[in-house]
Amino acid sequence: MSAWEKLTALPREIVLALVLIAMIIPTLKPLGLPLMIGTMSKDWYNTVDAQPEGSIVLFDIGFGGGGYPSLGPATIASFHQFFEKNLKLIIMATQVEGSMMYPLIMEAVKPETNYGVVYGEDYVFIGYIAGTQTAMAGVLGNLPAIVSVDYKGTPIGQIPLLKDVKGADDFDLVAYITTSGDVSEGWVYQAYSAYKKDVVGGFLSMMTPTMKPYYDTGQLLGVLDGVKGAADMEFLTKHPGDAIKSSDVLSFSQTLVVIFIIIGNIAYFGAKGAKREDS
Amino acid sequence: MAITFIVGVIAIGDYYTTLTAVKDTFTVIKNWGVVLNAFALGLGAVNLFRVHGRRISERKTSDWMFSTWLLFMLVVFAAVGLGTGKFETSNQYQWIYNTIYLPITSTMYSSLCFYMSYGAYKILRARNIDAFLLFFTAVFVILGNTPIFPAYVPGFFHFREWIFKVLVGGGYRGIRIGIGIGAVVLGIRTLLGLESGYLGRR
Repeated sequence: MSAWEKLTALPREIVLALVLIAMIIPTLKPLGLPLMIGTMSKDWYNTVDAQPEGSIVLFDIGFGGGGYPSLGPATIASFHQFFEKNLKLIIMATQVEGSMMYPLIMEAVKPETNYGVVYGEDYVFIGYIAGTQTAMAGVLGNLPAIVSVDYKGTPIGQIPLLKDVKGADDFDLVAYITTSGDVSEGWVYQAYSAYKKDVVGGFLSMMTPTMKPYYDTGQLLGVLDGVKGAADMEFLTKHPGDAIKSSDVLSFSQTLVVIFIIIGNIAYFGAKGAKREDS
Repeated sequence: MAITFIVGVIAIGDYYTTLTAVKDTFTVIKNWGVVLNAFALGLGAVNLFRVHGRRISERKTSDWMFSTWLLFMLVVFAAVGLGTGKFETSNQYQWIYNTIYLPITSTMYSSLCFYMSYGAYKILRARNIDAFLLFFTAVFVILGNTPIFPAYVPGFFHFREWIFKVLVGGGYRGIRIGIGIGAVVLGIRTLLGLESGYLGRR
């Protein structure tokens, strides 16, 4: 086997070990590599920033434990902005595990301590609602008919924030962060198409190609694109966290992937040329 | 079929009219939808017991151990949830979730990056013109998506944006419009009773 051929078939263990090393180094010693803030994240930030004080935001936690490392930081940074802007927040979950993500997010944001807000008056969590798009249509159509108690079991009639909230007309902004394609497109259909509400969405980077056409047409006013979007958001809200730390890991590991792709191609053509010379 | 027709007509009426009676009726239907979806989760749990219970009793492959563990954890989660009477709001339930399930599911998902890295190295080779286009696009999307490159050369970011906006956006819109038209046709056929696959008929 020629050197070229060996390069085209590097053992999987070597490739994976190098990727692991490329992740460990910046994790142990963050380098603070520069970051270019994307326009989609800026638009999310500006859309929220343009909301008048006291506006009501409907936020959907559409991810579970698997998506938390990618999307948790974006949600935490977004919540910091919502509370800093004194927006009222009605949180729901269209994914079963969303209600398990809520305490993790709130533990990081600490809204009562950091912003002096009160549960039930400034924000509320209405829990997981089954049915994905049916749940969205239900909450936007007639919230009190769909939800009877909040996450803690308090009847919604006793929650000051929900007393006057009946449906889509009472929400000034719909925001969601999700790992699900059905959820990410569902909010565009149910909130924008049906009620012409302002919608901003966050999702995994691999979903961006399918969701970006909605952003380009203005159906989504802002987008948080995976860990990169989360890092942008942490920078914009001045709440650096896990996503900015992960940016160095992304830079290292993705650079290594590009290097491997290039090595693979050079070796492929080298081996091909060597074979031609031999024959 | 009659139920499908009635519900479908009410759903269309809810979207296109402002009649209170239609809106109220559809709200009730949406409530039923939410309840049915929640019920489906319970049905899923019962099905898990059926499928994995059979696998454990037959012990045809070594997978039965994983099935046992799955059912054991299912029972543990349910017992803790029912025991505390608070499910996800109880500290015990959250502790089990945060210390067992969360690290496992995060690790499972994160491990994808290793397979994707190796897959990119093995697959993205410009063997022919189609493969070259895929290779070229993939490399520039990765470069545009890697924080460090656009920070020094903003052109990488703008080129990625162009790929997404023009190439991907154009193609995807075509696909979505096709799917949309297909969904409308399927909806009409279902309402008219010409499509009965959802009832288990051919």
